[in-house]
Amino acid sequence: MIRHLFWIGTALALVALVIAAVAFGAVPIPLGSVVDGLAGHGDPAAVAIIRELRLPRVALALLVGAGLGMAGAALQGSLRNPLAEPYLLGVSGGAAVGAVIATTAGLGGAATLPLAAFAGAALATGAALLVARAAGGHADNRVLLMAGVMIGAFANAAIMVALSGAPAESVRGALWWMMGSVADASWPSVAWLGAYTLAAGIALLALAREIDVLALGAEPASGLGLDAARAGRRIFLLSSLLAAATVASAGLVGFVGLVVPHVVRGAGVRRHRPLIAGCALAGATLVVGADLAARVLRPPGELPLGAVTAMIGVPFFLVQLRRLS
Amino acid sequence: MQVRRGPATVTGEQRALTKPLIVRIGKASVAARSQETPRVRATNSDPRSKGLVAARADTAHSVHGPPSPGRVPVPRFRPPPLLLPSLVLALIGAAACRDRRPETPLASAGGRSATSPRRIVSLSPATTEMLFALGVGARVVGRTRWDSYPDAARAVPDLGDGLRPNVEAVLAARPDLVILYETADNRDAEERLHAAGVRTLSLRIDRIEDFARAMRVLGDATGTASRATLVVDSVTATLERVSRATAALPRVRVFWHVWDNPVFTIGGGSYLSQLVDIAGGRNVYGELAASSPQVTLEDVVRRQPDAILAGPVGALSLRNSPAWHAVGAVRWGHILIVDTNLVGRPSVRLGEAAVSLAALLHPPPRRRGVLP
Amino acid sequence: MLVVHYRGRPEAALRDVSLQARRGRVTAVAGPNGSGKSTLVRVLVGAQPIASGSIEIDGIDARRLGRLERARKIAVITQREEPVFALPVREYVALGRYPHEGPWRGATAEDESAVGVAIEQAELGALADRSTQQLSGGEWQRVRLARALAQGGDALVLDEPTTFLDIAHEMAMFELFAAIARAGRAVLLVSHQLNLVARFADDLVLLHRGLVVASGTPADVMQAHTLEQVYDWPVVVTRDPAHAGVPSLIPLRRPRSEAAQ
Repeated sequence: MIRHLFWIGTALALVALVIAAVAFGAVPIPLGSVVDGLAGHGDPAAVAIIRELRLPRVALALLVGAGLGMAGAALQGSLRNPLAEPYLLGVSGGAAVGAVIATTAGLGGAATLPLAAFAGAALATGAALLVARAAGGHADNRVLLMAGVMIGAFANAAIMVALSGAPAESVRGALWWMMGSVADASWPSVAWLGAYTLAAGIALLALAREIDVLALGAEPASGLGLDAARAGRRIFLLSSLLAAATVASAGLVGFVGLVVPHVVRGAGVRRHRPLIAGCALAGATLVVGADLAARVLRPPGELPLGAVTAMIGVPFFLVQLRRLS
Repeated sequence: MQVRRGPATVTGEQRALTKPLIVRIGKASVAARSQETPRVRATNSDPRSKGLVAARADTAHSVHGPPSPGRVPVPRFRPPPLLLPSLVLALIGAAACRDRRPETPLASAGGRSATSPRRIVSLSPATTEMLFALGVGARVVGRTRWDSYPDAARAVPDLGDGLRPNVEAVLAARPDLVILYETADNRDAEERLHAAGVRTLSLRIDRIEDFARAMRVLGDATGTASRATLVVDSVTATLERVSRATAALPRVRVFWHVWDNPVFTIGGGSYLSQLVDIAGGRNVYGELAASSPQVTLEDVVRRQPDAILAGPVGALSLRNSPAWHAVGAVRWGHILIVDTNLVGRPSVRLGEAAVSLAALLHPPPRRRGVLP
Repeated sequence: MLVVHYRGRPEAALRDVSLQARRGRVTAVAGPNGSGKSTLVRVLVGAQPIASGSIEIDGIDARRLGRLERARKIAVITQREEPVFALPVREYVALGRYPHEGPWRGATAEDESAVGVAIEQAELGALADRSTQQLSGGEWQRVRLARALAQGGDALVLDEPTTFLDIAHEMAMFELFAAIARAGRAVLLVSHQLNLVARFADDLVLLHRGLVVASGTPADVMQAHTLEQVYDWPVVVTRDPAHAGVPSLIPLRRPRSEAAQ
């Protein structure tokens, strides 16, 4: 029963938030003009604001939330770790380093930035896995989480070093980006992230049964005929790439991947195929809502999206931590 | 602590007057700008901009010291990767002190009282320019890494940043006067310098009027008060001429781009907004009191500026950003590239800056063959 | 003749081990700590490579079977398993069907019935809708057993399945094992509980330092001198008072003088 409520409720909430996010923004536009703007006629400024700024922004927020939600669910399940998520595992940090290095090297174009983020995320992923393996293999996933947190800290430091020569104003821009933002959304970035999220999402859904089995532990998984090490790597890489894609287009949006799977599991969705799909839905809802809040809470300026998600995520993380110990 | 005034300043001033002023408000720079304008498609390219030609003629006569027609006095700005043009240096801190009331004293001086300083460290590009214009450049023993004008300033040792300066490096230059940019970020440095027994002068220039007052304060502090008056008068005269020349022209509504995400622009509290008015434009955010307010892209679209003013790096990033193409002026390519090194400092080249902005906003008719 | 080496250790963990588990019978493997019992389980799961020798399932070399195919033939319950994310018992048991599924295939009628039968066999009917995090130790072991039963196949390998259970739960589990064997499966049981093994197992294999020391019926294998050597402890083997022909092991205290040393 609660499960049906979850699906219907979340879907309705997403639709309502998407409508609200298109209707409300920095510039007040009457509802009639919003509809006209969607249709492409009326005041050209309203048309541009609706079609070129708000729609891609809402679409990007939706994709970022879906991607992070799915990555979080897949990482938590496959690592058997309720605190796992791309941001805490250093995956997002690695992606950010790749992106910042690309920007400082003058390769910050729409085409090269995502690739650089992938490279950074892959390196961070590889480093975290190597450290965890050297420290005793897959038996203890806390090692992996600690390695990830350390790599995230290192990534932060690396970004600070890369930015140390930059003037304060550009540091402010970079910090803003590190706090996550979908303000820069455009249709090309939406299309690009959409393609990636779709591909990686479908792959994760196909592997959802493997995640169910991995969540039992490496030995039981082997007993069920799963090559646990290989499956774990595959899912870790897919999740990392999903996270890197969101970082490349929206910066560091933390804690979505942590909060969303817990909420969806709490609604009674336990197996990973519906769980991953549910996390895509709930993550999209959360980030569209968080971005709406970021836009309207402190006019005329904006809050960084990552700050809003962290405000929600950090208390949640602490509660989870308390429950674990 | 008081900035010292007295007879000593008179002799200093007379000595200094024998050297030519380094204020360059020259024909050459306007010519250089207008030659570049074909590269930029401006909104208003109709031939009504005759006024500018007049402004050019006027300014050509107002040059103090030998004009240098053969060369472009504006140092070419080569943008380092990811570095925002140093324009922002003048704006930083504005946000931190947005609530500053107008009656706040422009300058505050502190530290040990002293005679006319012999070793000056100037920690903002604008004050460095001013000191050189006052003829006391030889006494400047330290500058920030952003100071590039005049050329002679480059020979002064670079002490790093002007915001949160490296106090050790400043003290190592053994200054008897340190001029700081006045902002909350620099308060700590100011206190440390006082503790080390060094006199400081904190200056903040948001508006053009602040420039005039800053010049007077520096003139008093360095014993070059009458020269300061001379420079201020010449800059003011140039600004007035540009203002008169553009008075009859249609106003170009401009958005001044400082940073694209988050969006920062120039508000009415900044001298740049005043310069836009003088140069025949109107800042679409002129009504905001802050000097560099954060705004939103949606609101920029709503205000429908005719043109965007941006530094070379900013212009490139705007052109490459699909989101910014929602702004009509970006879509139509009405991005005017400002010389950030010239315009970014509220200093002795304000007149020159106004001329260059006027040339951008109201380019002369493209009949180069006819023009002398 | 199975030989298994662990990397970085000169001594083989299993040397020339041969054993058979037949359908319809409980075959027990016993031995002191480090004798190679767990290695044997790891080999059967496929988690540990074989240096030489072979595992045959119905005459087919296990190495020629894919992982999934092997899992369809042998179900294993490993020693430890701690659930991190709770599942309803029925869904947990259904995970046993993993080797029969493809990436997109939903549960078939065959899967459903296998899960139902497994829940029935493990006597879990009342618990089917409960969460795995609300189970007692004994219930959890039975749920794990049900998952292994749902996995299908004719062989069931159990590694110390009763370690943390009290007497009643332990006895109930052993009764279940015997019933499963009677229903037609080959049950390979790794256990320390020699006295229970003696009652329930049809065959007993005694491992020591990677070698098979003795094998046969419990009565054949459980000889006092053999056990004393293997466990390096004085023991007495008597008769089980409750079951005719079943041996029973009583470990002794050390003689006082020896203990004092």
